Amino acid sequence: MQAKRTLRSVAILAAGLLATSTATGLVASSANAAAKSTVIINETTAMTSLNSGTPDTNLVTNSDIGYLTSAGFWYYDNKPNLVRNTKFGTFKIAKNVKNDFEVTYTVNKGQVWSDGVAITGVDLLLSHILNSSAYSKKAGLGDPSGDTAPAFTSGGYGGVYDNHIKSVSLSKDKMSVTLKYDSFQPDWQISGPGPSPVHALELLADGKTALPTPAAGAAATAKFLSDFNAGLKGPNARLAKIGAIWSTGYNIQDINASTNPLLLVSNGGFIVQSAIKNTSVTLVRNPKYTSGPALSKTNPLNKVIFSFVTDGAPAAQALGNGEIDVYDGQPDTATYQQLKQLGGVTVETGTTMTYEHVDLRVGNSALQTDANAADYNGPFADSHGQKARDLRKAFLLALPRQSIVNKEVSQAYDPNNQADATVMNSNFLLPGQTGYKSVVAGSGVSVYTAGTQAERTAAALKLVQKWYPSAADGSNTVAINMLFKNNARRIGENLLIAAEEAKAGFKVSTVGNAAWSSKLDDPNYDVAMFAWAPQVVSQTGNNANYQSDGGNNHYGWNDSALDTVLHSLEAPLTDAQITAKYLAADKIIMAKAWTLPLYQWPSVAAYSSSLKNVKPSPLIPNMVWNYWEWHF
Amino acid sequence: MLAYIARRIGIVLLILFGSSYIVYNLEAFSGDPLAELRTSSAKNRDFLIAQMTRELHLDVPPPIRYFDWLRGVLGVLTGHADLGKTRDGLLVVNEISAAIPVTIRLVLGATILAIVLGITVGVITAIRQYSRLDYTMTFISFLMFSLPIFWVAVLLKQYMAIEFNNFLGSGQITVPWMIGAAILIGISVAGIISGSRRRVWFIFGGAFVSTVILLWLVNVTDWLLKPGLGIVGVGLLTAGISVGIAAIVVGMENRRVVLASLTVAIATVALYFPINALWSAKHLSFLALIAPMLLLVVLAIVAAVAFTKVDRGSAIRTTVITSVFASLLLLIDRMMNTWSGYIHSDGIDLRPIPTYGTVSVRLSSDNFWINLMDGFVHVLLPTIALTLISFAGYVRYSRGSLLEVMNMDYIRTARAKGLSERVVIVRHALRNAMIPLTTLMAFDFAGVIGGAIITESVFGWHGMGTLFRSAISSQDLNLLMGVFAITSFMAVMANLVADLLYSALDPRIRVSK
Amino acid sequence: MAKDKKNEAANSSTEGENQIELRETAGLSQGQLIRRKFFRHKPAVASLIALIFIGIFVFSASGIHLGTEKAPITVQGWWKYTITDIPDSTFCKDSVGCPTWSHPFGQDPIGRDYFALVMRGAEQSIMVMLVVGLIGGILGTIIGAVSGYFRGWVDAILMRFTDFIITIPSIIIGAVIGFKFGNLGVVALAIYLGLFSWTGLARLVRGEFLSLREREFVDAARVAGASHTRIIFKHILPNAMGVIIVSVTLMLAGAILLETALSYIGFGVQAPDVSLGSLISDYQDSFTVSPWLFYWPGVLIIGIALCVNFIGDGLRDAFDPRQRRQISRKELLKATFRTPTNDSKSK
Repeated sequence: MQAKRTLRSVAILAAGLLATSTATGLVASSANAAAKSTVIINETTAMTSLNSGTPDTNLVTNSDIGYLTSAGFWYYDNKPNLVRNTKFGTFKIAKNVKNDFEVTYTVNKGQVWSDGVAITGVDLLLSHILNSSAYSKKAGLGDPSGDTAPAFTSGGYGGVYDNHIKSVSLSKDKMSVTLKYDSFQPDWQISGPGPSPVHALELLADGKTALPTPAAGAAATAKFLSDFNAGLKGPNARLAKIGAIWSTGYNIQDINASTNPLLLVSNGGFIVQSAIKNTSVTLVRNPKYTSGPALSKTNPLNKVIFSFVTDGAPAAQALGNGEIDVYDGQPDTATYQQLKQLGGVTVETGTTMTYEHVDLRVGNSALQTDANAADYNGPFADSHGQKARDLRKAFLLALPRQSIVNKEVSQAYDPNNQADATVMNSNFLLPGQTGYKSVVAGSGVSVYTAGTQAERTAAALKLVQKWYPSAADGSNTVAINMLFKNNARRIGENLLIAAEEAKAGFKVSTVGNAAWSSKLDDPNYDVAMFAWAPQVVSQTGNNANYQSDGGNNHYGWNDSALDTVLHSLEAPLTDAQITAKYLAADKIIMAKAWTLPLYQWPSVAAYSSSLKNVKPSPLIPNMVWNYWEWHF
Repeated sequence: MLAYIARRIGIVLLILFGSSYIVYNLEAFSGDPLAELRTSSAKNRDFLIAQMTRELHLDVPPPIRYFDWLRGVLGVLTGHADLGKTRDGLLVVNEISAAIPVTIRLVLGATILAIVLGITVGVITAIRQYSRLDYTMTFISFLMFSLPIFWVAVLLKQYMAIEFNNFLGSGQITVPWMIGAAILIGISVAGIISGSRRRVWFIFGGAFVSTVILLWLVNVTDWLLKPGLGIVGVGLLTAGISVGIAAIVVGMENRRVVLASLTVAIATVALYFPINALWSAKHLSFLALIAPMLLLVVLAIVAAVAFTKVDRGSAIRTTVITSVFASLLLLIDRMMNTWSGYIHSDGIDLRPIPTYGTVSVRLSSDNFWINLMDGFVHVLLPTIALTLISFAGYVRYSRGSLLEVMNMDYIRTARAKGLSERVVIVRHALRNAMIPLTTLMAFDFAGVIGGAIITESVFGWHGMGTLFRSAISSQDLNLLMGVFAITSFMAVMANLVADLLYSALDPRIRVSK
Repeated sequence: MAKDKKNEAANSSTEGENQIELRETAGLSQGQLIRRKFFRHKPAVASLIALIFIGIFVFSASGIHLGTEKAPITVQGWWKYTITDIPDSTFCKDSVGCPTWSHPFGQDPIGRDYFALVMRGAEQSIMVMLVVGLIGGILGTIIGAVSGYFRGWVDAILMRFTDFIITIPSIIIGAVIGFKFGNLGVVALAIYLGLFSWTGLARLVRGEFLSLREREFVDAARVAGASHTRIIFKHILPNAMGVIIVSVTLMLAGAILLETALSYIGFGVQAPDVSLGSLISDYQDSFTVSPWLFYWPGVLIIGIALCVNFIGDGLRDAFDPRQRRQISRKELLKATFRTPTNDSKSK
């Protein structure tokens, strides 16, 4: 009975199907034969603002979108080298004498913003407002380090520019800006100004909602100049109004036809067309783009969509499903293999500027704010003299750095190209950077690389036995409290370290801490393992880590000779001079046995194989740094 | 009663005050909002730390800072609720109001589906207790309940999205697949229907053969690329449904109601082409979408009134349910006809099932049906995942509850009166069995707003669950408290509603005074 | 003749069933009845055996690990590797650490033996399940029962307290514990999960009690002078057992999944310790490359949860006083043949 019923319903269904196929007939397929010209890039956070210049909005996604929509005097390539963007303009040192260091930035003539308004030197002046606390105070925009937020809530205050700028001046033809510093700045190239559509800000302050004519735009630019000059003299309410717009007006996540087009004015290769909050941002080609390298001639991109996928693993599956074209991530061990298995996808591995390191505490942190904290009196404390030095050296000798690289890092690289999967041996230079080899050869790091790990660990055990004669392989005499984040990779590293150090007589704790970063100054921890992540290439970039009063020196490291060497880096130097100073500094650090670097973080980029010229880069904006070269 | 409700709401507010104070302080002490900045190597790091401290009032101790937050929340009384800003400088109110619709879209459908499916299966298994069907469904529901959701999500994405899309490139079911599917369907059909061994084999064979034929037809007609029911399919299915519903609600012996129900099916067929023409308009208004469905419902009522003289209530119920199903079928048919256009549109390119997100970012179409389809395929996998894991609870509770009720004296009385089994179950047992489930449902519906933390994050939906998770992992106190305020309010209100429903449905229970 | 007998048997089936039941239940205590009923439920018995086997296997393989990291209490298991051993990785064609004879479940990317990890994970998950079930079940039943039985202000206070607990997300407690106290071990985690998981059960039990306390048999007990405790535990509770057992078994299986979810978010069992949940969430993206890392923990979670649910199903049926067990045709025939007197009587 029931079987009959089943059969009957199946028959009915089948009849219905037949009827359908005859009734609907053939539906014309509209397969699109046009070449692909849209690229979808995955971002792990959503866009929160079109302005990435405030501390709140300084997120990778915002700055990537900013990179595509603006062009300035320079950019980083994937080496990473600083490349001057001569299409936009030029900059050079105008004067370099004691207490007077001047740099002139000149914008090329004939460039326009996406609304057709000319780009001039006036557009560079906003940078000064965004970076100079003195100007902010003078113009009545608020004290950036005070208790209330300044009118421009810029993330630029408090840096090199702020601390050393004396004045800024515009040339007569209004195409050049000269910055005057109180002394030579080693990182002068990257602290220079970038262009901002100041006319759009003026028009926004007027409450306008339509794009201006070139003439009206030029008038607005002129208005800004007069506002800027007024601000040099005293409080200016108009600038405060502009500041409010700059600070919050760009914080939009939904962009569509009703969005004020003035907010979208830009000079990069692409302009923002639309955005859906927490989902995506769509950029289209800027037809008036002349401010940077020309877009590829063959099949260039017409549209760039940033799509937000917050989790790494879903992004890989989305790539496999063709929902995104470009995936850029921090790989764990399985990612390379997984991406490699996807069809039609090119996988490239590389390195980032971020590097993992192990630091040993020798005393109280100069940054310790907790007055009640106990003094550091652990095994590595300098107060123990030679014993602490021996134990530190022993600990670093027994660090299984090669096996960490083999087990934690090498699988993230192409099995046929393991050149980047290597132990890092300098505290100042990354493998492959100019001078790395000579620094490594002379710094004394060879103590920690000579022989096999078993030999080094045996030597370490001897050092430990000097002070703890009963220490033996596996008897774990010296207890070491280690600070690290409890994520998969760090846990793996910690286990490897604990296993090897045990052979040298150390007993290393094996519990990670989610709140590790707030415990860096905590004297209960003898060792910390984490990564430094520089955002720019800077010759003094590591000073804060090792100077006795450095902002990143959490371990009481203090050596006056080292301070002198590091201080001398703040001067105009040739590459050879810089290398020599790094070598001198590294020598001191190695001799003190304070810290050892482990490895450079790997990066992995995967993209649809039909997309050409994608070159991953270690610095933000990572993949998109050469978007103009991309094509299908 | 009103006084009781008012008093309860007053207590609810007190509870919320207490728990929010505790949660605020716990969370404030459970992490370091400046963690990221502390390890930054930016030159102006100290400056940035000072700025963040200023913006989030980190210099004020949390037990006092809470009242600052509370003052903002109480602004809701004057219409200006201020839940503060997130760490990224966004207004918490905006973030939450953007997340709620996303979450409702994701979780509401799955919750309703789980309740409907769960109760249906639970009731059927209770009626056929200890049958093979019962064992099979028990096993399946337990299995579903035991699955970790992200585990399911990964598998769903791999096999129902990526592999399915690959397969759709050809659209042809290969012979091994056909046989595999036929065996699987044969086994499950045979597993559901009990009987002698010979009959089981017979059923297995029948299901096997019909599946093969069906799949072969699918291949021949390219049905996967150009699906549709057609007027014949809609007509036959509606007719079947109309008879079936009449049989359940009033029984086949009530010929007039069956006829009225069939009339609705005939009307559906008659209106098939006009409705499709109306729905194919370039700019489909919501009214134009809804109107045919409303018309069918009106027709259904008219038919019921015309055909019956006594017991019109149940007749109307029958025909209206039929008309709702008929409207759904028309909608499904229309969606099936959209499928071909959708999978070929620019940006989809024959890969229609996505693995994440709420909309296809590449698709740009102003066609209502294409966009509806886009929304549908995006909600498909997460809904399946959520339904799979949450329907087991309903199966178990409704089965257990119905079994208990079926042993009650009044059921025995009803049977003794000579009522048919259908009437006993539908009119007497079911209603009473559903009472304990109201609590469960009230909680599930309240939980809808809270979102599904894991499902949302693995499927890339930016809803309340994602907000909650990111707030916890990034120490975003204001955001967390915003989410907390809403979800906890919904939870305690659900409790109140469940209590009231309980006493309304079961006259023996009085609301405690 | 034989054919006729069969027909007769069919005709008198209802009576036969009653006979069987009556004869079987005669002279048995309630506990014996429940036990008998339970052991007739084949899936439940099979699940019970399977769960006991899994439990013994897992705990003996991995050993027993209690206490915190600072003060561990450990009994070694028979498996040769522990979760902190890092043997050399096996290299296979496309991947690292695939299953071999010495590593039957394979190795994780840094070389840890995956069998050891899965066994420890299962141990932790079972521990979480048991502790959560025990604490949640007892708290939920008692609070629900007291609240539903006494009603009035007792009910009001207990239910508002329940509301209060419902509003506090347990994840936040997990975060606080993780941040302030570090790794307290799996038992502490399970206890706090248990302390937050009784609310649903309490409400269900309360509902049952509200309805049952109005029934005649309760009135009868009250009139007969039974104490509150006696009425609650001897008269009402057995009648509410069905709901409690279904709910507690769902809670047990749910506890494993809750821990899994917490691990996914990062607040579950803390590394280097593992749970089944943390294993899946760590290796969820490697299932195309190293499927063994993905499937083993999942299969164990499903297996344990399935067993628990079936056992619950069997218990529920066993506890239901009105529930009549299914009597198979064979038994019925046997009974009919063995009792010819009944047959003759029925004519």
